[in-house]
Amino acid sequence: MKFHCLLALGLAGISTGLFAAETPLFQSNDRVAFVGGTYIERDRHFGSLETVLQLAVGPEIKGLTFRNLGWSGDSVFSDSRSYFGPPQEGRQRLEKNLAEIHPSVIFLWYGSEVAISVGKSWTGETVPGDKMAGHESFDSDLAFFISGYGALIDLARSAAEEALREIILVSPPPFENLGAPLPDQTENNQRLARVRDAIRNLATQKKTRFVDLFAALGGDTSNLKKTDPPLTDDGIHYTQAGHDIIAKALSKQLGYPELPLSLADSLASAGLRSAIIEKDRLFFHRWRPANETYLFLFRKHEQGQNAQEIPQFDPLIDSQQKKIDTAKSLVFSEKP
Amino acid sequence: MILRILFTLVLIAALPALAQNGLKDIPDTKIEAELQAFKTIDGAKIQLFASEPAIVNPTQMNWDSQGRLWVVCSGMYPHIVPGAKEEDKVVILEDTDGDGVADRHTDFAKDLYIPTSVAPGDGGAYVANSTEVLFLRDTDSDGVADERRIALSGFGTEDTHHLVHTFRWGPEGMLWMNQSIYIHTHLDTPYGIRRLLGGGMWHYRPETRRAEVFMKGLINPWGHAFDQWGQSFMTDGAGGEGINFVFPRSVFATSPGASRILHGLNPGQPKHCGLEFLTGQHVSPALRGMLAACDFRGNRVNLFQLADRGSSYTSTQQPDLVSSTHGAFRPIDVKMGPDGAIYIADWYNPIIQHGEVDFRDPRRDHTHGRIWRITFEGRALDKKPEIAKATESELAHLLHSDSGWVRNAATVELRSRPAEAVIAALTKSSPEAGEDADLFTLRKVWAGQAINHFDSDASAKLCQSQNPKIRAAALRALYYDAADLPVAFECASRAVDDPNLQVRLWAVSVLAQCTSPDTVKIALKALGGIEVDEELDFAIWSICREHAARWRDAASNGNPFATPQQLLYAVRALNEPLAIPQILSAMESGKLSTDADIASIAEWIAKVGSSDDLGHLLNYALNDGTTQAQQASLLKSLDDAVRLRKLQPSGDLARIVPLLRSSNPVLFSSSAFLAGHWKLEAAREELVQAFRDAPKDAERARAALDGLIALGGPDSIQLFGTIGTNQKAPWLVRSLAVIGMTRLAMNRGAKLAVTVLADSPDGRDPFGIYDLILSSKNGPPALTAALDGATLPEAIALTGVNKAKASPSQPAGLIAALDKAGNLQPMKAALTPEEMEAMMKQIAQEGDPQQGESIYRRPALQCTVCHAIGGIGGHIGPDLVSIGASAPVDYLIDSLLEPSKKIKEGYHTVFITLKNGTSVAGAIAREDTAEIAIRDAAGKENRILKSDVAKQEISPVSMMPPGLTASLRQDEFVHLIRFLSELGKDGPYKMSSRRFVRQWQALHPHPSTRDRIGHYGTLIFAQSISDYLWTPFYATVAGTLPFPELPDMAGRGRGPESAYGALRTFLNAQSPGTFRVQITGDLAALNLFLNEDQIDLPKEGKEAIITLSRKEAGRFKLTLVGQKVSALSNVSIELLEDASKLELVSESDFK
Repeated sequence: MKFHCLLALGLAGISTGLFAAETPLFQSNDRVAFVGGTYIERDRHFGSLETVLQLAVGPEIKGLTFRNLGWSGDSVFSDSRSYFGPPQEGRQRLEKNLAEIHPSVIFLWYGSEVAISVGKSWTGETVPGDKMAGHESFDSDLAFFISGYGALIDLARSAAEEALREIILVSPPPFENLGAPLPDQTENNQRLARVRDAIRNLATQKKTRFVDLFAALGGDTSNLKKTDPPLTDDGIHYTQAGHDIIAKALSKQLGYPELPLSLADSLASAGLRSAIIEKDRLFFHRWRPANETYLFLFRKHEQGQNAQEIPQFDPLIDSQQKKIDTAKSLVFSEKP
Repeated sequence: MILRILFTLVLIAALPALAQNGLKDIPDTKIEAELQAFKTIDGAKIQLFASEPAIVNPTQMNWDSQGRLWVVCSGMYPHIVPGAKEEDKVVILEDTDGDGVADRHTDFAKDLYIPTSVAPGDGGAYVANSTEVLFLRDTDSDGVADERRIALSGFGTEDTHHLVHTFRWGPEGMLWMNQSIYIHTHLDTPYGIRRLLGGGMWHYRPETRRAEVFMKGLINPWGHAFDQWGQSFMTDGAGGEGINFVFPRSVFATSPGASRILHGLNPGQPKHCGLEFLTGQHVSPALRGMLAACDFRGNRVNLFQLADRGSSYTSTQQPDLVSSTHGAFRPIDVKMGPDGAIYIADWYNPIIQHGEVDFRDPRRDHTHGRIWRITFEGRALDKKPEIAKATESELAHLLHSDSGWVRNAATVELRSRPAEAVIAALTKSSPEAGEDADLFTLRKVWAGQAINHFDSDASAKLCQSQNPKIRAAALRALYYDAADLPVAFECASRAVDDPNLQVRLWAVSVLAQCTSPDTVKIALKALGGIEVDEELDFAIWSICREHAARWRDAASNGNPFATPQQLLYAVRALNEPLAIPQILSAMESGKLSTDADIASIAEWIAKVGSSDDLGHLLNYALNDGTTQAQQASLLKSLDDAVRLRKLQPSGDLARIVPLLRSSNPVLFSSSAFLAGHWKLEAAREELVQAFRDAPKDAERARAALDGLIALGGPDSIQLFGTIGTNQKAPWLVRSLAVIGMTRLAMNRGAKLAVTVLADSPDGRDPFGIYDLILSSKNGPPALTAALDGATLPEAIALTGVNKAKASPSQPAGLIAALDKAGNLQPMKAALTPEEMEAMMKQIAQEGDPQQGESIYRRPALQCTVCHAIGGIGGHIGPDLVSIGASAPVDYLIDSLLEPSKKIKEGYHTVFITLKNGTSVAGAIAREDTAEIAIRDAAGKENRILKSDVAKQEISPVSMMPPGLTASLRQDEFVHLIRFLSELGKDGPYKMSSRRFVRQWQALHPHPSTRDRIGHYGTLIFAQSISDYLWTPFYATVAGTLPFPELPDMAGRGRGPESAYGALRTFLNAQSPGTFRVQITGDLAALNLFLNEDQIDLPKEGKEAIITLSRKEAGRFKLTLVGQKVSALSNVSIELLEDASKLELVSESDFK
């Protein structure tokens, strides 16, 4: 329960009034895309973000669909999304994914990679985001990140076309200091605070919404206490409990009321969560299938005939979506 | 003609569909059938340990410290079926009663997707699960995982047989993991993002969560083993260089963007999955210490013996541990077991691949899988120690077992014990009498690392050991955290000029981790006082580049290093225009003066120097004291500079003209080319003369042609026009004129090409007129227009069609025009299912592999030009050593008829369009930031400046021309396919591990031999005569040399009685001594020479063991001369020593 104190502490320090005057973020039939790095990719195993938000919007908002476009190690330059092609291939892939989904709401979730990647490994693998890692100064790293982030926002807007109504920039939650032998994250958190400030400015400049998870999870407190049990496995990757807490913090920051525990922890909401995880599993095989080399890339003349199976996931995803809708209504039909 | 005949075959009615064709080939799935098909090495027996349904298609395995075998199984490979659940498994197998058969199995996890590795440890197991490495744990002791954590995520899945794999605990307690060529990985670690875009190997320390790349490259590095000194060896499932010795920052084949790569220890050896050292007391003593590696294509497990060589090793293949005639036996992992037996995971599948065979091919097996156990008769099994129940003191003792299994299990077990208890136990432990004290300490150091309590001081002390293996190992122990350990830097600095090359290699590797500004200055000392070998050179080259920022400024106006040689080495490694004045002045003042120094300077300045710098090179070339070898390298560099960078020396260029009178062909060709490019009209007359003299000296004429093309202008065009249209001129000169014209005026050249090609004496295009036209954007339309209304002989038209079809642009208009001009019947490339069925049946019933092999070897078919079998042959296409065992017959037929239908990974054509409109197609040979070198289908390397590239793409067209087999009769085609389909299957077409000398060169008839044989005898073939023409000649798969295929050298008598054939090869003696060689064949008709000394052979008989004696180490030549050539069909020479004593020399190095 230490967390709740910590959360309260964090929330006390920031203004939540930003959205007070705004209309609620979600509308019925919204298509929501989460775009980010490792955090988003791993959330598909927990279903935390969607479970919390599906419930937070209440029974009145119907037909919300979520698509998880997370990719481990990604950056605002889409570094992880490129396979064999030129550096811009990663961007093009994301653009194509967004154009197919045509989301009305996009969450962009980047920034921890800038704070943490101050050193380079010997491999010298060149990716477009190279200049974010350990060059002249953190100032130049950060400036490069922000320039890339701005371009990513522009790309998201043009790819999603007129369907797009809202973009939300999320500043990542802080790293945890778990003690030796894991590395100390104090300096990384100091950098992450600066990343947060820069993202906030960018949000203003680009007229997007902004959510400060860094502050919400206590990043601004001078002595970030270790929670027990920790919310991360290794200081940077959040556990399922961590993902749940962060999802709730996000929901709150977006102006949605906290769910009564009886509802959030009910059996029915567990059913909703597993339906979501199953949908995310199916969608993963749809948008990031294995064997792309043979299915779509330079060896498709050999095994490209097998690519016809990939769209066969669409009806499976649609039918799983119905199960999500049913599971959601079940949560609200259960009287506490 | 064959295809045309083929398609008129009377077809059998009502055939099943194509996909079921091969179903008939599916081997008997019964366990007995597989057991009966095994052949084991002497003294060994094989039995079943586990099978389906407990395990299905195992992909990897590892033991836990309780002696249980953890196996990952994937029936879902190669791709999830839409709607299917993820249900691949980790299975724990246990032999509870010690009878050698698993009697208990538990599904530890059964919700995985194509898991490719498992490593039990840390109270659970690490499992490779496509994009992630999971840590699974059983918290309630029911044997089933109930807790799941993502240890690492971000591994690529671009190809599911490339996924992260080959988990193994190292002696230092890290988890080692490999990934293959197509995988792009992005790991988000607490130390920053770590990316690896291609093949390579990772090490991961679970407690610190640090994951780092150790080495890069290899196509499918599916095997990794540590020797007892902790050195790493890897195998490659597609690379075909056998065992690879790897070290930090080493880079191997196919690593993207690599400008330099290292090679394996067994070029041309089978491709492997899995790797293990044979250790313990149970294994037959003769095999102990050998490496076992699974040749999954060839249905066998190979053995290799290593021996030290410089910083690296030699590796000699030994007889197979086990082989099988069962086509579904697919050994993919081999591990020693706790009882000292050898365990082999059999993936069990008649189809091994999904790149070339459909994902859903019904012949794929998804339901079987076996683990086999090999024991040695009459030898007691090793006692299984109770590792899981042992005290920390007992574990500390077990670290010193001679069984690799016990050492590894004890290390992994220590990781889950309280650190204080482990440290106490380690501190107390001491070596027993007679035990190697340094090795004992090394193992304690490793154990400390394994629990993340590294005793760096103990490691530093070991750097002073008398034993170089210990010194190297101690440096490796310091490597991982060297950035934070001052002592690591001190040890590496001291070891950098160690007498042992491998210690130097590790010293440089440690320096690469260090933060000192002096790392490069220190590392360069490793060059001194010793002959540096390839691996050590790579490491020094690599640190010069990686740490460039630490010395670049100091080198811009001085020499931060000890000698000009070191400075030259460093700036060359960097490939930047740095310190050029210092280097040139050292050259001009004689401080850099050897041929090797000058060659290095010339090559480097050509890449990075200015006009003035090139002027220095030209001056030096024209100096009186400059040797011809130096002149050649200097001119070549000027040649490279003008070709690639369009840069010429400053000053009066006409000073080169006198060199055009040189009789040295290298100097002439370089100066001819340069004179042309430098537009020296003063040189024209000399060039024209040399061009016209083509029949006298064709090479000189070709060089003159290059000069005239470069010189260009109306005079050149007029010359080419006059000669090209002169019907009386020799065809050679006319062909060269076409090339000149085509280069200068495409439309006129194309017109001329039609008339000259029509006169081709043999229907071939030896000067590459078609290739030249096809490589230019304007070429195909010009030739198409020129062919309008023209006719060509069928053969030369067909040559053109084949070349056009193998070119990435596949110009349809030109192909049609050639078809019309040659009146070619359009060739049908693909077979209908019915035709395929009939063809496969005919191959099975009538195909004769022996005839097929001789067809394969026909020079006209050109198979051996591009393909090797077991490393013997060309290297443009894939090695075919086990193609028969790995590819279905229908695949082979398709590949010959439609080469582009299925292309082996790593053999795709890269198609580069240059900004000037020309194009180059081939394989990437080398690449750096400025340049890319493409090896074309003729094996020629073309260097291209990246800034000249307009477009680079991977072509879907194979470099292998379709229609190569069009000249075969149908029965010949059938024999050829039958031969290919036998390659690698157990039988006479499986390459044996016996050390036959397979690479030779054959002598071509020479005008003087006939007379001189009479005077001097066969010794004349062994003499070094400079204008002898030697061309590659390869032994058959069985290792024999069919003398009837050799060019006949007539003696003074008549008829076959006096015909001679001569072959030569080179061998390398590692040290002085005597070496046994077995010679087989009709000894009465053979003569053997060592250099120019005749070796006595018995006067009669069919085989003999002879002894070659060498007073010094190094290379020597063997010449084998056969008389009555037609009778000598089964001659062979076999080395009876292993590679650590007597090495084979590759044909490309014959000199």
